[in-house]
Amino acid sequence: MKPRVTASQATVIPFPTWPPKLAAIQRSMLQVLSRPLTRADGMTPDSAAEAAALVTPNDRLTSFERLQIYNQQYWWRLLGAFGEDFRGLRGVLGQRKFDKLAIAYLKEYGSTSWNLRDLGQHLEKFVRENTALTAPDARLAVEMVQVEWARVEAFDGTEKPAVDPQKIARTPPDRLRLSLQPYITLLELEYPIDDLLGKLKKRDTESLSNAVSNDRPQRSRRLVAKPGSTRIHLAVHRADYSVYFKRLDPEAYRLLIALKNGQSLEAACEEAFRNSTQLPENAIQNVQSWFATWMRLGWLCA
Amino acid sequence: MPASRFNAFTEYGIGIGLRLPHYQHILEKKPVVDWFEIISENYMVESGRPLQILDQILEQYRVVQHGVSMYFCNADRPNRDHLKKLKALTRRTKTPWLSDHLCWGSIDGRYTHDLLPVPYTWEAIEKTARNICEVQDFLELPIAVENVSSYAEFHASEMSEWEFLSEVVERADCGILLDVNNIYVSSRNHSFNPLDYVENVPHNRVAQIHIAGHTKYEKYILDTHDHPVLDPVWELYNAALLRSGPTATLLEWDDKIPSFDEVHNEALKAKNFQPRVPILKNTKLA
Repeated sequence: MKPRVTASQATVIPFPTWPPKLAAIQRSMLQVLSRPLTRADGMTPDSAAEAAALVTPNDRLTSFERLQIYNQQYWWRLLGAFGEDFRGLRGVLGQRKFDKLAIAYLKEYGSTSWNLRDLGQHLEKFVRENTALTAPDARLAVEMVQVEWARVEAFDGTEKPAVDPQKIARTPPDRLRLSLQPYITLLELEYPIDDLLGKLKKRDTESLSNAVSNDRPQRSRRLVAKPGSTRIHLAVHRADYSVYFKRLDPEAYRLLIALKNGQSLEAACEEAFRNSTQLPENAIQNVQSWFATWMRLGWLCA
Repeated sequence: MPASRFNAFTEYGIGIGLRLPHYQHILEKKPVVDWFEIISENYMVESGRPLQILDQILEQYRVVQHGVSMYFCNADRPNRDHLKKLKALTRRTKTPWLSDHLCWGSIDGRYTHDLLPVPYTWEAIEKTARNICEVQDFLELPIAVENVSSYAEFHASEMSEWEFLSEVVERADCGILLDVNNIYVSSRNHSFNPLDYVENVPHNRVAQIHIAGHTKYEKYILDTHDHPVLDPVWELYNAALLRSGPTATLLEWDDKIPSFDEVHNEALKAKNFQPRVPILKNTKLA
């Protein structure tokens, strides 16, 4: 059956062969689905021609309305998953700006993975390049995305076998090279993102516990913060299968970065304390204490 | 179908989907359940809590893998990276068979994350059977393909959905995961008799059956998996069992998920249909 087109429908986009090639149909349908919905959450009239060419009407729905169901499902599913992963960013931007950014991002990048978990993998790049969408909180937005993406990675990222303590004990520091678990992300931040996400979690918990008693919907308050006077060094990691944030001393942060970059323990320590104000005797104590913690948390691997 | 090569000669009874809100209950109370169906993609991760939970479940229960992103009807060939991760998971779960949908979902590396309907054409049959064979050979497991619910039909279609399904499974020599709720939803959306569908698929290939709830809207029905199973779906289930015999059955409940007991009790209603039915051959259904 070839497409039937009524006068009210837009021009049918012809396929070069009939029946059309499977790939041509799928490309055409993808093009329609990935067009953002209208303000009223409907399919854009721009898709009318494709709808008429692809889909038959029935006694209740037009071709347009039938294809619209898939267009809506596509956007609601992607926006839902995106919103779950970047709740902090939504808190920073507010719902309206967040929706605008989400649609612009998904329109530009779409999904290139079978796993919805990967949906936000290009978001940091996108918010860095599209500061108009996050102004006047562009820097805060970038840092929030960094931390929220790090949280996704920490949840189910690769875990390597922890380093053997014997190896550390028997290898001279100038030859000892250690690595950091791939699921850990180290970040240097201007804003206290960990505190902001803590606030958001508390707010969500409170709104859940008040859900029955509070009839009036609460206004969603935006997350606001000023940059700190000093940089915050944060590790996003997991322990006992849960994701945590851990603030680090600047020297500890530099030490971990140097180890991650493949430097020997000796070189990493030199790098870490190069401009440090810590006294040497304190530095030694600190390094011992940090390593004890990192070993306990399983952060170090061979 | 009772034990057959399409379900690795197993007789699994009545299962439910393993879902996050029930993890704690299952691990603490250890309820008696014939088997759990897992969504493969939720556990195709490198490490972390999903696999930790899965390993605990595997210590106690039989698990069958059900996928949502193999997209057998894609014009493109299956994604090798996806297949490698899937195979690693099948070795962990020791799933006796594996199911995914008769749908497409990605093209040229762009993913829709939806179970999209395909035009029922001879070219689509050829490509779908090719893809199923490739997956089956790679995974070295019986594959069962599930009919999806749909809301659109294509001008390009050259046959009915059940003719398409039958031709695909014969060519790929694979099993069917017959979703009777999806048949019902599509029958209402596309105005066909759902019994025609049930009657005209190769019953000897039905490896598993899905039951679920749906939501009625003014002009169409949506496959929402957020309700108990409705009566017309139970009727179709009965009709399917009359043809296929006692078959591993799974209740899907994916949204507005109630307590574990409520879901399990809903699934166990399927037992009322299972033991009584003889297999009917060459008999038209009413």
